[in-house]
Amino acid sequence: MTDTAVVHEDTSARWFIYTSVTFFLVTILIGVLMATRFVFPNFLGGVAAISSGRIRPIHTNGVLFGWLLAANMGLAYFVVPRLCGRKLWSEKLGLATLGLWVIIILGAVVTLASGDTQAKEYLELDTTLDILVTIAWVMFSVNMFATIATRTKDREQMYVTLWYLMGTLLWTAVLWIVGNLPVYSGVNDANVNWWFGHNAVGLIFTPMGLAMAYYFIPKTTGNPLYSHKLSIIGFWTIAFLYIWNGAHHIIFGPIPTWLQTVAILFSISLLIPVWTAVTNFYGTLRGKWTQGNYIVKFLVAGTTFYLLTCFQGPMHSLRTVNQIVSKTDWIIGHAHMAVFGAFSFFAMAGIYYTLPRILKRPMYSDRLGEWHFWLSFVGFLGFAVSLWIGGFVQGLQWMNYTISFLDTVKAMQPYYVVRLFSALIMITAQLLFAFNVFRTARGGGNPAAAMA
Amino acid sequence: MKLEAKAFLLVLAVAAFMFLGTYFTMVVPLTDRSLSTPTKDAKPYTELELKGKRIYEREGCMYCHTQQVRNLLEETQRYGMGEEETFKRFGIRALIQAPPSQPGEYVYDQPHLLGTRRVGPDLARVGGKYDNTWHLNHLRDPRSTSPGSLMPAYSWLFDRAGQPTDEAFALVAYLQKLGTNYKWREEGVEQARALQAKRAGAADPAQQQAPPPTQGGAQ
Repeated sequence: MTDTAVVHEDTSARWFIYTSVTFFLVTILIGVLMATRFVFPNFLGGVAAISSGRIRPIHTNGVLFGWLLAANMGLAYFVVPRLCGRKLWSEKLGLATLGLWVIIILGAVVTLASGDTQAKEYLELDTTLDILVTIAWVMFSVNMFATIATRTKDREQMYVTLWYLMGTLLWTAVLWIVGNLPVYSGVNDANVNWWFGHNAVGLIFTPMGLAMAYYFIPKTTGNPLYSHKLSIIGFWTIAFLYIWNGAHHIIFGPIPTWLQTVAILFSISLLIPVWTAVTNFYGTLRGKWTQGNYIVKFLVAGTTFYLLTCFQGPMHSLRTVNQIVSKTDWIIGHAHMAVFGAFSFFAMAGIYYTLPRILKRPMYSDRLGEWHFWLSFVGFLGFAVSLWIGGFVQGLQWMNYTISFLDTVKAMQPYYVVRLFSALIMITAQLLFAFNVFRTARGGGNPAAAMA
Repeated sequence: MKLEAKAFLLVLAVAAFMFLGTYFTMVVPLTDRSLSTPTKDAKPYTELELKGKRIYEREGCMYCHTQQVRNLLEETQRYGMGEEETFKRFGIRALIQAPPSQPGEYVYDQPHLLGTRRVGPDLARVGGKYDNTWHLNHLRDPRSTSPGSLMPAYSWLFDRAGQPTDEAFALVAYLQKLGTNYKWREEGVEQARALQAKRAGAADPAQQQAPPPTQGGAQ
């Protein structure tokens, strides 16, 4: 994994990262707006285009595709050439991909705000945008496969990051195309929706996040990868086990019981890939926890949140647990732990690692980086823990039908207030992040000035 | 030769695994006739109801309201008819449980709107629970009918004078259709009446609580 004397341009990597950070701020702002309305329902009301039902898919699609996938694509443009011992196959194709990606995201904001939606969670984008996403993904894949196919002889044995990346290229394409086909109806439509929705996390964001963690954890700590064998077990169990899980989103619902049971069994077995990856990460981070800077902190916390969220997941699938937590606010805390706590933390660590190497100057302020970590960490914990406690209480109240539904809504108020405050801390942290990134990009910064 | 060294073989193996899981969890259910056979009461949407469904989708109602009564006692009780409701409307006191949602009720739904989260209550059995005026008031000012609700006021479904537009009427028509692919209200009341009549013949005719109708679960 040593870098050779190849001179990397990294323009695609750089601009993908800047773009993703910009979209991140917008999507979090939308999240905060929705969190506000859980405390003040009439806040900025009366405008169709920014009503919660329309901006909710902008928040989810924005975070998933505008921020996280774009950030990981940017990091891939940096990481893959270095693992292949050559330059990126085509920077021009990379920049064209970015151009298309920006058009897609802006198109998504406009269409979703105007109510043009396919109404299925994470598959909301209209047909034109679906096709554009497919084209952009093919462009990205061609660039990646061409770089990997022409790697130098001494890189023939590919590093684990590349396996995950190639897996993601395939998984994403198949999930996206099959998931978007307009041919399903009724409960099968729901089943396909969750075949897609579960694997959007399990086979797009998980392998992309793990690919990045497998690269950045050894790089940042200077430790060699703890176990090659564990990474092989982890990869192939993810490839085999994840795809079976979609139906655990509809447990007790109107789908066949055998399908639910299969999903539950495979959900429990997901502990295998998760614990192998986490063991590998902790093993590689050995001895570096206390001497770590904010990059290591993001990686340690990301690994821990990955462990926790993937412990929750299999537990939620158990019928006795599912009965209580399903459909409650608990799940919102769980989803944010995966997307924000685990994979966004990995991506942030990756950006802090790559940006100084692309720009050949240190981050504008390490102090801001530390603040970014601690505010993200504390803000997220407040957000998730309040929803976990509240959601659990909510689930137990729903089990007694003599408590009216409205009373269970009112009982959530204190938790929604804590969630709103925590969300404000989270967005403050990301403002510091964006400020740091863009001041570093502009250059000529004076770190002392930021130490206010 | 190791698989991890051959890009093409690796992708091929990954694709094979993906196909395996997809086949069993997606293709097999797609070929299961029982999932696409309508229930005996099921009727396709009218033009107005379908227009209402599109508005429901456009406004993202499914992000806060599920449309599935899960196969759990607490849900069949909560989303059924309470004693007050049955007394007011049918003149009997009985808790009539809502049957769990069944695949055959959804066959005309494209896209499906099962939902995953309940900021508001489940709507799978809401049809016939309230009258149209209640729904219109609720859409115009949710907290006027449901104090403490977090729902947005859908002012753009009403004109300047506060009168409902065609869209508001269509949406209400769709809401009233929900759950009627299974005539559970009628069947439940009928069963409760029969039971009460039987008991009245036996002993004290005063307030009796009918046991819930025993309708089958999803599977």
